[in-house]
Amino acid sequence: MSFLGPIGLGLWTWVALGAAALAVSAYIIKMRRRRFEVPFAQLWKRVLEQKDANTLWKQLKRLMSLLLILGILGVLLFAALDPTLGAVDREARSVVVLIDSSASMKAMDGDEAGKQSRMDVAKTRAKGLVDSMGGGDLAMIMKVDGQATPMSRFSNDGPMLDKLIDDKINASDTPADLPRALGAAADALRDRKNPLIVIISDGAFPEAQLGQVKWGGPQLPGVKPDAAKNLAQVDLSNIDVRYIPVGRRSDNVGIIAFNVRRYIANKAAYEVFIEIQNFGQEPAHRQLTLYNGQTPVDTRRLDLAPGQHVRQIYPKIPGGEDNQLRATLRPVDGPGGTDSFALDDTAYALLPARKKQKVLMVTSDNLFLEGALLVYDNIDPMKVSPAEYAAKPAIADDMDVVIFDDYTPDALPQPPTSLLFFHPTGEHSPFAIKGMAQNPHITEVDEGHPVMRWVTMSDVYMDRSEVFAPDSKKGEGTVAFSVTDPIVVAKRDGRRKVLAFGFSLPANGRDSATDLPMRVAFPMLLVNTLDWFAGDQADLLTTYATGHRERVPLDGVVGATEADVQGPDGTITHTPVLDGLATFYGQKVGYYDLTAKSGGKAIASINLAANLASASESDIAPSTSLTLGGKKLEAPEAFAITHSQKLWIYLLLFATGLIVMEWVTYHRRITV
Amino acid sequence: MVAPAEKLTQVSKGKNPAEDRSGLFDEKFLKTLEHLHMVSRKVFSGNLRAERRTRKVGSGIEFADHRTYSRGDDFRYIDWNLYGRLDKLLLRLFEEEEDLHIYILVDVSDSMSIGSPLPKLHYAMQVAAALTYVGLANLDRVSIIPFGDRLMDRLPLSRGKNRIFRVFDFLQKCPIGGKTELAECMKDFVTQNKRRGLAVVISDFYDPQGFEQGINTLRYYKFEPFVLQVYDLREASPKLHGDLALVDCETGETREVTVSKSLLEAYEREHEKYCKELEAYCTKYAMPFFRTHTTIPFDELVLKIFRSGGFLR
Repeated sequence: MSFLGPIGLGLWTWVALGAAALAVSAYIIKMRRRRFEVPFAQLWKRVLEQKDANTLWKQLKRLMSLLLILGILGVLLFAALDPTLGAVDREARSVVVLIDSSASMKAMDGDEAGKQSRMDVAKTRAKGLVDSMGGGDLAMIMKVDGQATPMSRFSNDGPMLDKLIDDKINASDTPADLPRALGAAADALRDRKNPLIVIISDGAFPEAQLGQVKWGGPQLPGVKPDAAKNLAQVDLSNIDVRYIPVGRRSDNVGIIAFNVRRYIANKAAYEVFIEIQNFGQEPAHRQLTLYNGQTPVDTRRLDLAPGQHVRQIYPKIPGGEDNQLRATLRPVDGPGGTDSFALDDTAYALLPARKKQKVLMVTSDNLFLEGALLVYDNIDPMKVSPAEYAAKPAIADDMDVVIFDDYTPDALPQPPTSLLFFHPTGEHSPFAIKGMAQNPHITEVDEGHPVMRWVTMSDVYMDRSEVFAPDSKKGEGTVAFSVTDPIVVAKRDGRRKVLAFGFSLPANGRDSATDLPMRVAFPMLLVNTLDWFAGDQADLLTTYATGHRERVPLDGVVGATEADVQGPDGTITHTPVLDGLATFYGQKVGYYDLTAKSGGKAIASINLAANLASASESDIAPSTSLTLGGKKLEAPEAFAITHSQKLWIYLLLFATGLIVMEWVTYHRRITV
Repeated sequence: MVAPAEKLTQVSKGKNPAEDRSGLFDEKFLKTLEHLHMVSRKVFSGNLRAERRTRKVGSGIEFADHRTYSRGDDFRYIDWNLYGRLDKLLLRLFEEEEDLHIYILVDVSDSMSIGSPLPKLHYAMQVAAALTYVGLANLDRVSIIPFGDRLMDRLPLSRGKNRIFRVFDFLQKCPIGGKTELAECMKDFVTQNKRRGLAVVISDFYDPQGFEQGINTLRYYKFEPFVLQVYDLREASPKLHGDLALVDCETGETREVTVSKSLLEAYEREHEKYCKELEAYCTKYAMPFFRTHTTIPFDELVLKIFRSGGFLR
């Protein structure tokens, strides 16, 4: 017998004593009786004299009534202690059952016939674990995929937990985030007695995740001391962690990368990259088909040795009518054609939109600038002089990009027009200017900035340059420094982007000089800038990976504050939009429709593609053992089945029965 | 402070409802009395005469018996024919004719005020009025004597049915209340009334001292007791339950009881037993006894009395 009362036993004792005192007082205190006038009390006296012969029995009946009330109180208080009848062969434990719901758990190798998935087996194991809990054990079920989702509170209600496991736990299309789940479980178990975590999984976790654990106490061999000090590590001190492996086979060939890239020179054509790996222990044979929409573009046979990587590149694929690309792997007949894991046999990608940018050059016949832009096919250039622009600034209204060459207008064009400045000056400069640098040298560049991709500027000469004072609070950042002086700066101004070079390009009538236009980097710099203006990574359309939170640029969409994301299965999630970027979390592989909204009204729709794209998930080879932070996890102890039974409901029914009996006997004048 | 007690019967608190007797003898009641009188004349015509004979042997004209002469007897009543034949002095006796005296003793104690819908007292007064009317109409001398713990002011002996309105007025105005002291009252009654006759006692006979002594007093003093017990159905089978304080309406004695079904049944048995004791006592001494509850119409009771004989001769 065990108790699970939320209040201390001491307090219950006082409550019981108080209730008993009240009950006894109620029996001792005489109730005021109703007075009735009778014609001849002598008759009543005679009757009562006869009755008084039974006084002892009468008092006994009254005592029985009191005892009955005390019994009811006792039963109710006992029920409030939540007693559990059952064999408790150990101290009560708090168990968090982590059920791996990652993509690899969809592998159909739960049984020899391939009719059960790993998820089915994991559910069975989890239910077995729950059913074998002791009377005082409490369990919490937690689903582990790209997120860690507690599915219940700590409970010992076995049927409820079983139903929850059956109904709510399903394998997703995302990799598992084991450290996050362990952290959540450790937090849930904090300050609980006998904490225990049971991981039911196929063990398909990246090595990096398995190392993000510290056990406290002496450093375990093979674990780097600095890693152990990493605050990001999950502290599993004093927690018993056990592992139940599921899965049988490892035969799987999967697509682990599928990307589309447009050519810089010809953005009407695309290049497709597919990476495939055989994770099995046997040679595998597959047929790889690339579709544009429903139209096959290419089909080829792949013969893969065990563990072999294959990278397939499809160059110069025309855009086609449909912007959806799909790659599928199909087993071929014969040996090496089986595959237990179908999720990574199909990958999805989207072709980027083909759009020419309207570029307005406000310049006084700068051949270097005009010549460099000529190499870029995807723009529609236009040129005006500063005087013409000053006379009619509205000309910039329908432009995608305005380049101000050694000219700073009094008022900047309105967003979403992006701006490129060469040598802005004065108070109307888009960036604050703090001084002038003579003969500066570019000593440091932000290589991560899209503008600086594939560009080397270390030897660029310039005789002088404005020095900016970028304000990080306004989102202004430095792209290139001369020692400590920012001379190339950039910012996002809402939807619009602004880039400014502190120096001017050589041209007639200018006394400043730089050799940048004579360098190969110059046209690249302009193309990078225009591509950045067009949208982040516009030249490399990365398909998004499921299970990761991504920031998706809403190119060409202005004023969106929120977005609805409809997944392949039709589910719709809402996500905020900040600085033109929407948050995206892919639960399923496939195509997504993202509808940008402003004030609740849809203003644009963008398609997205999400793939598993995880080699660790595609590597479905089950691990019979799991090592976390250098510690090999043991299998759970034999969970001998113990029968536990909650008694409160029966006690409550018993108390109700007693109350009914007391009511009936009282009103029938049996116990009075 | 003690809370006022509820009456066993449905009565309003405060004023005794039995006090209000203004509507007791209405025109309908009078018609009922006349009907009773007519019925008594027809049905019991064999016994009906204007005169009643007492058993007193005296100076009447109808021979009754002989007895042995004793010194001081009137010589005129010696039967000389028998002396000639038997050689014994025997005196001739004659039944003496005289008016019958009917005394109607009505219990007006507090216990008679109980009853629903009609207090027992009202019922008793209606019966008393009916018997009085028939007695007056038969040229008997009728007197009504209310009693409780003492004898109240009486209605003097009257004769002739034109006196009935005086009877009504008396019954409506006579004081009521007090305890029941049957023995003391009967003792006073026999002391105050030397002329023997019928003594009709209408009461519930709820006397803590018992009913025997009172009735016996009448017998000892040669009255002819006529016992009418009136009770209310709700006092015979009260509808009570729960924890109660029972207050005796006459003595104020309080008794706390928890009324259960078994207790109620025991009480009903005890009440019946009490009534049977009274009936058995009357039967034992050959006294007419009638028991009625207030839901039986009073005229039915009166007819029942007539049929039994004794009241009408």
